[in-house]
Amino acid sequence: MKRLGPFVLEPRLAPSRAAVLGVSLGAVILALLLASVVFYGYGRNPWQAYVQIGRGVFGSWPSFSEVLRRAIPLILCGVGLTLAFKAQFWNIGAEGQLLAGAVAATGVALFLPVPEVWRLPLMFLSGFLAGGIWAVLPALLRVKFAVNDVISTLMLNYIMIYIVEWLVHGPWKGPTMRGFAYTDAFPMSARLSYLPQTRVHWLTLALGIGAALVAAVLLARTRFGYEVRVVGQSTEAARYAGINFTAVFALVMLLSGGLAGLAGVGEVAGIHWRLRSPAHISMGYGYTAIIVAWLARGSPLAAIFTALLFGLIFAAGDYMKTALNLPFQITGVFNGLILFCLISFDILMFWRVRLSKREKAWIGQAGSSAR
Amino acid sequence: MKRVLVAVLAVAVLGSLALAATKIKAGFIYVGPIGDYGWTHAHDVARRIVDEKYDWLETVYVESVPEGEVETYIDLLVRQGCNVIFTTSFGFMDGTLAAAQRYPDVIFAHCSGFKRWDNMATYMADFYQVYYLNGLMAGALTKTGKIGYVAAFPIPELKRHISAFTIGVREVNPKAEVHVRWIYEWYNPAAAKEATEALIAEGCDVFAFTEDSPTVVQVAAEKRLPSFGHYSPMYDFAPDYVVSGQIVHWDKIYEDFLLKIYKGVYTTKNLAHVDYWWLLAQGAVEVGAKPGMLINPKYEAALKNYVINHPTFGKISVYDLVYIRLNQMADPGITFDPFQGPVYDRKGNLRVPEGMWMSYDALITMEWAAAGIVGPWPGEP
Repeated sequence: MKRLGPFVLEPRLAPSRAAVLGVSLGAVILALLLASVVFYGYGRNPWQAYVQIGRGVFGSWPSFSEVLRRAIPLILCGVGLTLAFKAQFWNIGAEGQLLAGAVAATGVALFLPVPEVWRLPLMFLSGFLAGGIWAVLPALLRVKFAVNDVISTLMLNYIMIYIVEWLVHGPWKGPTMRGFAYTDAFPMSARLSYLPQTRVHWLTLALGIGAALVAAVLLARTRFGYEVRVVGQSTEAARYAGINFTAVFALVMLLSGGLAGLAGVGEVAGIHWRLRSPAHISMGYGYTAIIVAWLARGSPLAAIFTALLFGLIFAAGDYMKTALNLPFQITGVFNGLILFCLISFDILMFWRVRLSKREKAWIGQAGSSAR
Repeated sequence: MKRVLVAVLAVAVLGSLALAATKIKAGFIYVGPIGDYGWTHAHDVARRIVDEKYDWLETVYVESVPEGEVETYIDLLVRQGCNVIFTTSFGFMDGTLAAAQRYPDVIFAHCSGFKRWDNMATYMADFYQVYYLNGLMAGALTKTGKIGYVAAFPIPELKRHISAFTIGVREVNPKAEVHVRWIYEWYNPAAAKEATEALIAEGCDVFAFTEDSPTVVQVAAEKRLPSFGHYSPMYDFAPDYVVSGQIVHWDKIYEDFLLKIYKGVYTTKNLAHVDYWWLLAQGAVEVGAKPGMLINPKYEAALKNYVINHPTFGKISVYDLVYIRLNQMADPGITFDPFQGPVYDRKGNLRVPEGMWMSYDALITMEWAAAGIVGPWPGEP
């Protein structure tokens, strides 16, 4: 028990679903209230602004579909990251793994002479492998040489960003692009189809949801899932149980990076139809996915919903920029406030706050509570 | 009585419809932030100029739009009622074309691209003539014979500009060299600073650049070295050291295009061959340290005192030569082009034969480097 002024914090052993939902909702509402001060500062009526945003995002199927579209790469990367985080492997490299998938898919789309029906399946396969291999590297580095996984996965992002830049400025620069740094456009057989009236490349979306289901079963019901959880909770215990660390980390990262790679395939085959500057391919999906996985608390199924939440935030941000004509930074402030509130409210999920009168003996206990 | 009322109502309704039809709501989609002091900033300045000038025109803009997202933003702008949409980055090309086919009743114009449609035009204001004029001045001002050039990306647009600049330099100073550094970013002041300092260390004493910050001007001025501003008027950043520069006036193109829509000249059916390639003659670009100041007065004397023996004009000061060349290019019946043959690349190949000019297609796909350029040149044929 902790005391903060007149409040008492009591630990919750296992936060109930209602507590998780209630606290998260409270955080979002607080963020909206804080953001309304910003809206007000720009001379917009906050209430009208929110109503307008709500109508803009949920008003029609084409506009709502944007939420789904923006969530696709986040679901895939997010599910992959929940796996890695379960094993306490801090994969900060989903961004680079996504780009690796995009590179491999572009290679297959533009340069591999295969029958047209095989092109898309091969793009997904090669994208999965490229993302996976890019992620297995830091796993091996950690197991063999004790290289910090946060650093190695993060650094590999930059290497992949420069590889993409080099490809589009160098060997893969498209002859039809008049010298600009883009590859040529993919052939039709390498493009994903959309849900009607949208730009939702449904195949990648289905892969993401399928991946979440498989990952959930894998974690909860298989020997591999058990090993992942043991490794994640105590390396010592895992060692005693005779679990092969190298294999577990390598496989977890192969899956984690592979899913991010699939997201990269979806972006180039579904949205861009070419490889271009890395900042325009990913827009930080790999980093946002870290928060998606973190808010999902290690549950691949929950990652679907947290990814949708961020899809919603992105789509609302797009709408804000156009309809309210606010400077683009406001979108960042808005997203930042929501994140900040969600993360700082986290404590309330594990601690219940109760108002209680100051008891006489409290002063004497002050030292003990700070133990 | 009732009939009169109906008639009045009908007239009122029709009248308001006619008014609505002649109102233009134009949406601008930018790739960067409007505060970049380069490309996007210049487009937004132009948007505000035309917006204030005509009361039948309403404009909205979206900034920092990722290239792959352009269709999403076009959807949003169309839903908001925009009937004209400008997209201002090469990377928006395919998305704009797809949207033009999806929204046949909306007029689109794409900046710097080459794909058009019935309802999609293209436009570009190019600086190559201006760079050439700046090159004339730079060639006269260098004492070391080395001029520094900080460049963003090795794409045809920049290769054309650096070559035109170098042709100007060599016209007045045949032994001078232009040393090029690529920074591979449109906006990266730290990289631009490093590149400028490296060029200073190599002995360069006059600077020009193509990237979206005033960094080169500032770093050169710290070392008391002259430079040429780029894109926005940069005189105020170093009044003693900005000799001249390149200034864009996108509003000339926007005004012409929107007026022609307003007057019914341009419709959603006849834009497939509308391509603005506007230069000095159309007033879309200007040479100067700031609008109206072609040459910084502090450098007039130096340019007047630098007299050369010109093959066409005989004994002439560079100051006079700049004005002659400017007039030749600014006159509607253009009588001079920087890439007027014979032009050789730096490997000694004849690129433009005697008496020839380069075609528009040759200009916008140009990859070679003019004689006098020193440094790496990715994709050099």
